[in-house]
Amino acid sequence: MAQALVVGNWLLPLLYLALLIDYGATFFLRARTHARSPWLWLVAGVHAAVLALRGIHYGHPPAHAQEVLSGVALAMAAVYAAVEIAGRDRRSGVFVMLLVFLLQYTSSILLAGWPHEVHAEAAASAWGRLHVVPALVAYTAFGFACVYGLLYLAARRGLRHHRFGVLFDRLPPLDLLGRMTWHALVVGFVFMTLTIATGPAVAASGREAAGHLASNPKVLMKMVTGGVAWVIYAAAMVGRLAAKWPPQRIAAVAVAGYAVVVALLVASALLP
Amino acid sequence: MAELVVIGLNHRTAPVEVRERVALPPDLLAGAIQAVRADPALEEALILSTCNRTELYAVLRAGCDPLEYFLALVGRVKGAAVGADRACFYRHDGPAAARHLFRVAASLDSQIVGEHQILGQVKDAYRLAVAARTTGFLLNKLMHWAFRVGKRVQTETDLSRGPAGIAPAAAELAGQIFESLAGKTVLLVGAGRTAEAAARALLARGAVRLIVANRTLYRAQQLAYDLVHGPAPEDEGENEEPPGIARGAPAAGGAAVAGGAAVGGPAAADLRGPARSDRASPAGTGAEGATAAAEAIALEDVPRALPRADLVISSTGSPEPVLTYDGLADGLRRRERPVFIVDIAVPRDVDERLGGLENVFLYNIDDLDRLVARNLERRRQEIPRAEAIVEDELARFAEWLASLQVAPTIRLLNEFLQSLRQAHLERYGRQFADADLERLRRFTETLCSRILARPTEFLRSLTQEGGTGETLRTVQLVRRLFGLDEPR
Repeated sequence: MAQALVVGNWLLPLLYLALLIDYGATFFLRARTHARSPWLWLVAGVHAAVLALRGIHYGHPPAHAQEVLSGVALAMAAVYAAVEIAGRDRRSGVFVMLLVFLLQYTSSILLAGWPHEVHAEAAASAWGRLHVVPALVAYTAFGFACVYGLLYLAARRGLRHHRFGVLFDRLPPLDLLGRMTWHALVVGFVFMTLTIATGPAVAASGREAAGHLASNPKVLMKMVTGGVAWVIYAAAMVGRLAAKWPPQRIAAVAVAGYAVVVALLVASALLP
Repeated sequence: MAELVVIGLNHRTAPVEVRERVALPPDLLAGAIQAVRADPALEEALILSTCNRTELYAVLRAGCDPLEYFLALVGRVKGAAVGADRACFYRHDGPAAARHLFRVAASLDSQIVGEHQILGQVKDAYRLAVAARTTGFLLNKLMHWAFRVGKRVQTETDLSRGPAGIAPAAAELAGQIFESLAGKTVLLVGAGRTAEAAARALLARGAVRLIVANRTLYRAQQLAYDLVHGPAPEDEGENEEPPGIARGAPAAGGAAVAGGAAVGGPAAADLRGPARSDRASPAGTGAEGATAAAEAIALEDVPRALPRADLVISSTGSPEPVLTYDGLADGLRRRERPVFIVDIAVPRDVDERLGGLENVFLYNIDDLDRLVARNLERRRQEIPRAEAIVEDELARFAEWLASLQVAPTIRLLNEFLQSLRQAHLERYGRQFADADLERLRRFTETLCSRILARPTEFLRSLTQEGGTGETLRTVQLVRRLFGLDEPR
């Protein structure tokens, strides 16, 4: 089982790299822009199988930052696969796949040679599983908000500077990108709030006292990450709803906020 | 495929004065196709007539000269002899005729390569021919094959992507900013022809409110009425329209609006009506069946109207900017929604400093020219891919047609029976002594020859007596009956 997990850990970034090249060809060569491909579903299936094997082997769902990154990558790939089927257009896939590949690659690097110690007691409990799922959804939604926010800013810049280059008419309209960014942020914020709200229950259900959990630097870092993400995106919510922030500012917050979140997740993974 | 032929002329082979003499407007086209039906010279026929081409696709009976036949037909329908130079016409036979049709359907033969309308026009011509029952087995198959080619080229290449005219380019730019123009307000400043075309393109995409500003209020009212109730957009010649479409302003409506203007002030004319009854909105805009409302204002009222507008098209003949920074910047800064401004005028109407404001997307005529040039270049680059699709489909069509020829079918039928005979001899031959086996071989050989004699004679007689369509249909039936196309 351990051998299979090692192979799976390195296979996943390679598979996503292949998908990235495929989607890159679609974007740049305008080939098969409306074609339906089973490869993304296949890779997502392999990814799900690897995560499931990992869960069976270690006895808990993705809980550590390294595993969460991989879970977010899978969630993004699966959500995008559904979006691709609904929209019958695979031209924006290259941007999502780039992020998915980077997340999975980071996860695989961090997991390689990492001595897996079951020190996340909370993860092993039922409350822990409840806690992980909304966190995964929240980080996935923030990832999408980041991608669509980036696309919004790039498209807006091109349109304002009258550049009819590579991105022009390959992307969805500007206001649609702005709306997708906002919707993704709202979904992420709701689930992040849920994650934080269930946090005390996780601590209470653990074998050790909440105080001990808080003194664990990894757990502490995750709490800080969730808190920082919540504050950043709450600011965006208030800005949009109360102060009528324009879509470009929301997009900028989505991009910057996700960069901070990923940096904190990586930092928490690097902690002993 | 020897009897399939296309005869016709187009924008490359004939000047407009010749094309218009041969062209068949929709009302005459129906009469022409009915005349073809009554005439036994053609086994199957279809006439395609647009402002850039008039073509007859036909399956000929022996002895028919298609060019003379066609000129006589057009003369008969128009009631006067067609004095057209024969050198303006082209003729393609067999596979070349199929290739020509595929290229036409793929918009590779159009004046502006990649224009959208031609495939619909080919379908209309086919519908008319089907209604008149002038198509048969071969043309039915050929036309559906051509539709597939057109569809493949549209979906698999960028040949039709990006508008090739200034007005549609403005609409395309708007489409990059707004997901849908449904519910959007267009402010048209000035009454230039291109600006009018751009406004029409935006209305066609779903914009439902129109404000027309002009130095002369009466002209603004007239244009507002025309844009909402007027004729279909011309698309700056990108599309091949049916010949003989009349254009003009509705006089009665114009007078009604003029009455509104007489009372003075910004006359908000309620012009609700079927603005695009003949112009379907693009799918997905959510504006299907929507109606437009128009309002006419004086040029001085533009600053007051601007906050309501989402899209502005300016095309006045003013030597000074009409939309000035000092007059409009404050209002535009306070604005929460983006505003898309297209300045088509030379000298420019819009102060370029307005383009620096947060929510303003300002384009001038040079920007639109660059966009059109880019689109045309991209279409040019797509031609080889589209041609490859045409050749690919032509090869398949030729293969299908060759499979329905009599001689290869007889050969296949013979091979089928021989293989059946051989298989059974191998299976049961061991039960016979050598001498008996030899007699059995001769017996089965004779039996096969006898069985084949009658069908062979019948199939050969088809080539002499039957029409092309009947022959192809019968051959196809025989092949299906004996499973000759199935792998063995």
